[in-house]
This record gives sequence, C-alpha cells and structure tokens, in this order.
Amino acid sequence: MICKCKLLSKATPYVLLVPCFVLLFFFKFLPIITSFYESFHAPAYLGHRFIGLSNYIDLFTDSVFWNSFKVTLLFNLIVNPFQIVISFILALLVNLKIKGIWFFRGIYFLPVAVSMTVTSVLWGLMFNPQGGLINAILNVFGIPAQPFLTSPKQALFSIIIMISWKGVGYWMIFLLAGLQNIPQEVNEASLIDGANPIQNFFYITIPLLKRVITFVVVADTVTNFLLFAPIYLLTKGGPAGSTNLLMYEAYNNAFVYANLNRAAAITTILLIIASIIAALEFRMFKPGFEEY
Amino acid sequence: MRETRNIFVTIIYYILLSAIAIAFLIPLIWGISGSFRPRDEIFKYSSPISWRTFIPTNFTVEAYKRIFTERIPVFYPRSLFNSLFISFMTVIIGLIINSLAGFAFARYNFKGKNFLFALVIFSFMIPFEVIAIPLYILVKSWNLIDTYSALVLPALANGLAVFLFKQFFEEIPSSLFDAARIDGAPVLTILAKIVFPLSIPVTICVSLLLFLGQWDSFFWPLIAVTKNDLTVVQVAVSRWWGQYGVEWNLILAGSMFAAAIPVFLFLFFQKYYVQGIAGTGLK
Repeated sequence: MICKCKLLSKATPYVLLVPCFVLLFFFKFLPIITSFYESFHAPAYLGHRFIGLSNYIDLFTDSVFWNSFKVTLLFNLIVNPFQIVISFILALLVNLKIKGIWFFRGIYFLPVAVSMTVTSVLWGLMFNPQGGLINAILNVFGIPAQPFLTSPKQALFSIIIMISWKGVGYWMIFLLAGLQNIPQEVNEASLIDGANPIQNFFYITIPLLKRVITFVVVADTVTNFLLFAPIYLLTKGGPAGSTNLLMYEAYNNAFVYANLNRAAAITTILLIIASIIAALEFRMFKPGFEEY
Repeated sequence: MRETRNIFVTIIYYILLSAIAIAFLIPLIWGISGSFRPRDEIFKYSSPISWRTFIPTNFTVEAYKRIFTERIPVFYPRSLFNSLFISFMTVIIGLIINSLAGFAFARYNFKGKNFLFALVIFSFMIPFEVIAIPLYILVKSWNLIDTYSALVLPALANGLAVFLFKQFFEEIPSSLFDAARIDGAPVLTILAKIVFPLSIPVTICVSLLLFLGQWDSFFWPLIAVTKNDLTVVQVAVSRWWGQYGVEWNLILAGSMFAAAIPVFLFLFFQKYYVQGIAGTGLK
C-alpha cells in the first residue's frame, strides 16, 4: 500500500506534464522534424521521392530566393535598430516621475493590442498615394505626395513605419521594467559624482540594462524575421520584389506554386536561423535557471 | 529660480508626451471615423487636414449594418463567433494544461526536469509562424484541415505560459503546501483550494496572452481553414481586402470592430499583462 503511494507521488510530476508535452510534441516538435524531412523530398506531383539536397540547391541558385534573402536581411538590419531606439526613447519618457504618466504609457502601448492584419489594412489605406492620410500630413509640411507602397524604393520603409507603430509599445514595456529595476541611488550617486545625464545614460543605465536590452534585441529580431501579414495584404512581395520577405516567399511556394517541399526547405532555413537566435537567447536565460 | 525651471521642463515634457500620444492615436481615430463614413467619403476630407479629416461629416452606420447582416461572402458575425469560440477554448484548456506543467516544474524534483524545461523554453523561442507550413502538411495528413481543432490544438501548449506559471508557483511559500499535504489533501485539491485563489494575477496575464495570440493570429487560420463558415475575423477582413478592395468602409468597420475587443481587454487588464510579461525580460 505504502509502496503504491510512493510510486504515485513519484509519477505525479510526469502526469502533470503529459498533456503539455503531448501537444508540444505534435504541434511544435513534430512539425520541426517534418520540415527537415519534407525538404529532402520532391513535391507530391513529382512522386514525393527522396531527392537529397535538390530543393536547397534549387533555392540557392534561384535569383528570386536570393533577392528574398537579401531583402529580409536588409529589412532586419533597418527595422530592429530602428524599433529598439524608438522604444528606448519611449521607455525613458514614460519612466519620468510626473503626474498622469500612466495615461501616456497606456496610449503608447495601445497599438500592441491591434492585430497585424488590422494594422496592415489601416496603414494600407493611410498610405494610399491619392487621398491617404500620410500624404495629407506631409502636405501640411510642404512635402509633395509620395508613392509609398507602390514604389520599389519606399515600400519596405513604409512597412517598417507601420509595423513599428504596432511594435514599439511592446518593447518599451520590457525596457521600462528594466529602468524601474535600477535602484534610484545608483543614478543619484553617479549624478552627485558629477556625471551629466548623458554620461549617466551611457555609463550607468545602458550597462545595467544589458540583460533586458539583449532580450529585446533577440525577441524583436525573431518577431520581425517572420513578418507576413502586411506583405501578403499590401504588396505581395512587390513592387519589383522589394518587399519579398522570406516568410512570404515560403507561403508563395507552398500555396501559390503548390510546392510544399520547396516551401519546407525555406522553412527549414528559417528554422535554423531562428534556432541560432534562440540559442543566443537561451544562453542569456541560462544564468537565470541556476538561481532557482 | 529652480522652481520655475522645473515647471518649464515639465511643460516641455507634457508637450512632447502629448505629441507622441497623438501620433500613436491618429491612425485609430482616422480608422474609426472612416468606418462611420459613406464609402465615397473615406478619402474625401483627408486633405487639406481639418476637423473633417477626423470626424465624419455624413455620419452613418451603414458599414456596420452591412457587415452584420450580409454575407460578403463571409458572414462577419459568424467570423466573430469563430474567433471568440477558438480564443475562449484556447484560454480555458490552455490555462489548465500550462498551469499543471508549470506546477510540476516549480514544485517537484524529478528525473529529466532540466531537459524537459529546456524543451519548453526552446518551444517558446521558436515562433509559431516558422513551423506553420510543415504543420499544415501534418494537419492535412490527419484530416484536420477545416476544423476548429486545427485552430485550437496548436495554440494550447504555450512555453511562455508554462514559464510564467512556474515562476508564480515558485514564489508561493512551501509551508502552504506542507500544511495541506500533512492533512492528506490530494494534489488537485491543493491546486484548487490554495494555489488558484492566489494566482489571479498570473491567470489573467496568461489568459490575455493566450486570448490575444488566438484573436490576432492570421497566418495559421489563413492556411488551415478554407471554408467561409470557419473563417476567423482577421482572415474575414483580409478576404474583403483582397476581393472587395474598394469597399473601404466595410473593411474599416470590420477591422475596427475586430480591434475593439482586444483593445478593451487591454484597457482593463493592462496592469496584469504588463507586470507578467515585462518580468520575463529581467529574469
């Protein structure tokens, strides 16, 4: 009898974990394995046979894919620093100890609750070259009407603006939490020691926020890396391939060209890149585990 | 002297904060006002900018009336129901599954714990979109395309939710558990009677996380569901955008209504959400 109870209590944690891990296995880990497996096979209409690295060789000799790869890289090199700098400025502003600051915090955070689809539709209309709101605002400052999403030169930048409207409030919250975690005495001590606010920011605030900043950089990169909705809804990768991000290229291969296996190869490449980023994040998290 | 300078600086701060707030709000104000305009007037008053740009001159609820009564060909109320249904199912089942896992990690020592927890963390660092296409291949082979299950099941187990529950359970003093254990209470009773009442904040945070994840998801419902009757709101709006690109007032009405629900949830529960998720960056 006692023996049975002991066995039960030993089994308890595993029982509690079963539902979670069954679901994680079927809907997270199995798809990862499937992605690799399918990427080494020909599509169904070509007999689904094993073709080794052919899908990958095809991709890396395809100028459309290379363009997509470059656009994704360029996009990330611009959007991530841009969003992080803006969210940092916002975090510093909403960290001010003045009356009613919670109200501004709430407003800056509000677009986070708006879905990417709605953001795309809304900004798609605002970016309309004829009669859109953005051109009307530029007009107030004497700037002539711009083509925005219809121009190969401006489309990617327009998308960066629209997703940053939605995104920066989210990252602001993490940075704000970091700022509030810095003991007030640290800032006071540095200011008493004669540091000006700018020196204080670069030599005290930033080093103390290293952990949060790393988290935000990595998490923001992963999020933006897989951007899909605005491309699908507004530009279809164009004009002239200028917004053809990899996630959209994968979708195109899977559901427009009906080649799920080639799409799986793109997914696998994305997975590998996401895993590298995740590994960086994991290393950052690790000291946290040991504290428990 | 210092006083006046401080007041001056404070005023500058308020002006700056307000200007940024206006910039964040303008798209929403313009969108909401557009949804109450006749179709031909969406762009009519944009330029030059005046009060007419942001307040509809011919106020009409025509767009809302149409999306709630007509099939275009997606029936919007049905999409709303679908989104609400899958979001609530995800929240209810997800809360149970993730809290149990979080509890196991926080309160038990067992073989393979570190490895299993590493898997959980890994799972939430790989975003869902990246595995959507291979998952589509699997779900198709399981004959689950065009079912609610296809939309709910993949969102249930959530690594971040497990992580948040684990952190919360670790902070509960052991004495509470020991007392209950000596009394001979089974695990589920301990959870229901002692832990759950304490866990309202983390529960709200995880609920919001799961709800918003489902409500806002787009890529997966776009590929996993093709029938109009199973379309979720985000996909409904995107269908109109793709096929009826000039019915701007309908698109705006559908969008603003879809956005209103999470926005109101945020206004009420922002505190819990922010406290819950912001901590993950510090840990």
